[in-house]
Amino acid sequence: MTVPAVSFHGVTKRFPGVVALDDVTFDVARGSCHAVCGENGAGKSTLGKVLAGIQEPDGGELLLDGRQVRFTSPRDALASGVAMVHQELAFCENLSVAENLCLGQLPSRRGFVAWTELQVRATQLLDTIGATIDPTRRVGTLSIAEQQLVQIAAAVGGGARVIIFDEPTSSLGQNDAERLFSLIGQLKAGGVTVIYVSHRMAEIFRLCDSATVLRDGRHVSTDPIAALDEGSLVQRMIGRRLEQYFPTHARAALGDEVLRVDCLTSPGRFTDISFTLRAGEVLGFAGLVGAGRSELAQALFGLDPHVTGDIYVRGRREPIRSPRAAMALGLGLVPEDRKRQGLILSMLARENTTLPILERLARLTFVRRGLERDLARTQTSRVKVRSDVLENATTSLSGGNQQKLVLAKWLAARSDILMLDEPTRGVDVGAKAELHTWIDQMAAEGAAVLLISSELPELLNLSRRILVLRGGRVVGEVPREHADQDTVLRMMAGLDAAA
Amino acid sequence: MHRSLLRSPSAGLVIVLLALGSILTLVAGSHVDPVSGATVNNFLNAHTLIQMATDASTFAIMGVGATLVIISGGIDLSVGAVYALAGVVMAMVLRGLGPMDAVSTVSIGLATCLMVAFFCGLANGVMVVGLGVHPFIITLGTMWILRGVAFVISHAESILVPAALTNVAKASLGLGGSLSPVPLLAMLAVAGLGTLYLTRTVMGRHVFAVGGNAEASRFSGLRVNRIRLGVFLWSGLTAGVAAFIGAGFYGSATSSDGTGYELYVIASAVVGGASLTGGKGSALSAMLGALLIVLIRQAIRTLHLDQNYEWIIIGTAMIFAVVLDQSGSKLLAKRLMNRTVSS
Repeated sequence: MTVPAVSFHGVTKRFPGVVALDDVTFDVARGSCHAVCGENGAGKSTLGKVLAGIQEPDGGELLLDGRQVRFTSPRDALASGVAMVHQELAFCENLSVAENLCLGQLPSRRGFVAWTELQVRATQLLDTIGATIDPTRRVGTLSIAEQQLVQIAAAVGGGARVIIFDEPTSSLGQNDAERLFSLIGQLKAGGVTVIYVSHRMAEIFRLCDSATVLRDGRHVSTDPIAALDEGSLVQRMIGRRLEQYFPTHARAALGDEVLRVDCLTSPGRFTDISFTLRAGEVLGFAGLVGAGRSELAQALFGLDPHVTGDIYVRGRREPIRSPRAAMALGLGLVPEDRKRQGLILSMLARENTTLPILERLARLTFVRRGLERDLARTQTSRVKVRSDVLENATTSLSGGNQQKLVLAKWLAARSDILMLDEPTRGVDVGAKAELHTWIDQMAAEGAAVLLISSELPELLNLSRRILVLRGGRVVGEVPREHADQDTVLRMMAGLDAAA
Repeated sequence: MHRSLLRSPSAGLVIVLLALGSILTLVAGSHVDPVSGATVNNFLNAHTLIQMATDASTFAIMGVGATLVIISGGIDLSVGAVYALAGVVMAMVLRGLGPMDAVSTVSIGLATCLMVAFFCGLANGVMVVGLGVHPFIITLGTMWILRGVAFVISHAESILVPAALTNVAKASLGLGGSLSPVPLLAMLAVAGLGTLYLTRTVMGRHVFAVGGNAEASRFSGLRVNRIRLGVFLWSGLTAGVAAFIGAGFYGSATSSDGTGYELYVIASAVVGGASLTGGKGSALSAMLGALLIVLIRQAIRTLHLDQNYEWIIIGTAMIFAVVLDQSGSKLLAKRLMNRTVSS
């Protein structure tokens, strides 16, 4: 038996309020392409970052070629031959390709950068992966695909024998993705071990030799790809049978149309989006990352100054130019990125709950504290947050509770058109189930819900209709009765239904 | 209640101030007052304490304004220049108007000071928001511009202010001839109002929100630009108040007044626990920070140390105070994290 290229042994990583990796153990064979898959928040990216030395594990050990290693920085990892190609590309955008490629060891003579040598070395690095990019160009002027090539060149040129790709196709077009796939093939042929973090079925089955499934930070399974099919892999990622996963729905009759969107366009984000939403309805939005779903929700919330087209709220045409205007019309947005857009982590939980409506709780600009406390308590109890955490720092709350705070915020604002962007991302299973029940219940009480989710089972079970977006356009509408994972996935990815 | 009081950020500063004060009282020695014949401690006497409060008041009053700016995630380097310009303009206006009754002199003087300061703050705020340039750059620019304006309009002359202003700023309020508690009271009032503003009002909460996370604030419907502009108005206004008291107290205004004050002011806010990354700070603590800096200066005099060491000691103390504060909050964060994981 050969020694695996990489072994994870009981690797554990904690973040405040959430365990991202919990005792993860598995091996990766040398020269293979190994998929790491799972739902959003399953811990895939964290696993990659731990291996690449970006994050230090809190427990467990890493073995490279059977030898234990401990990385405290990406530099350490690279010195041992491990590199990562990032989802969000990490470059000094103001510097040239050549400088970025050699940033760790700029060639120099008596402390001055040796420019000619730098160009030569950069060109050599780019040549090894067959990339034709002018090394004198500034990285900021490169396309995403080109930047990715530079990252790969840096990894290979740095002598990496293990390369981690984190969702590498999430912002690539079809042609660029194809080129990437053949490059990965070449790397493998050259003896490089590839760890491929993704949740895209087609790519995993096409590229990888084996697949590890993570769920809620735990290792679920590692199998050769030949022993798997899409169904069983998805099953493992989700973990339960779909029927058990979701509550039974109390479906009320639909009310009046509350939101109509007509030919909404924002250059470079989405084009010609039209739909209607009725009270009591949950309208799902499916699509891959970059399909324009979050951008659409933000535009409806008055956050996109470049948007054109018409928005009708309860039959009246409304130009929504700011979040304030959107709030006044009863809209609420639970944004995609809870920590960046949803919450102010330096404030108390209570203060986050009441932030949008603080003016309504004040007399002569002085906040009426009793009123504020009562309101925070009532609204957070509706989403099942214990009231004794309200005076705690928001950072000390679990992911699930943080997300519930964002919901409570819009409950307090009495929003009845709720836009939920990935509402269950990064929350634990229990909280997830509670959030699902809550969404269902809100709709039953007459709220109109616009649900964006990358978790198809969630969309399929909660929505009455699903709109599928691809490349900023609506490419299909599927009523719940006809919706299944396969149909929606194929529409999202733009694959032929018969294929 | 007691626990929350002890855990408040001001508590640590109060303890440090009291400790340093006690040490000074013990080691300062005493002298015999030639008039009353009583034995007087060289440090713990009304005269020295009020003198210290007076020294601290300028930094403390402007420190409250600076704290607002810093909590919102910004910085204001122009307060020293605003202080000078407001004082100079007031002195020139009063000189131009000629002799008036005391009430008119004081009210016109105060109004002029506050107006000048308000417009300086407005200019800062409008440029920071409108031009989208970092407040460090904008206020570094206005720091020179405003002081330059003060130089040009006053021809760099020292301008006397009417005695009515001095009578107000140096009023003894029944404490006896040589004691003037007005700067002390003004400092307490501004710190009190600042605390009220930050902890109880909608605007105060919004300042914390914007400094903590501007994007999330926008997503919550806050008018981020308006809030960012507002803090510069307050910062300007506190410089106006300080200028009014300062010019009155010292009896004149010059374009070189308040040179370098901006750094003392920022130091006061930062020693008071304000975080330059925004979202954290306290008006009361900024005042305590100013008092601590002045107390350290006083210690050098009381202990007859070489005055040339003053800046070295103050610089060291400031870095020390901030590091201590930071490691304290890191410890707290770690504790919180362990608690959530174990629960």
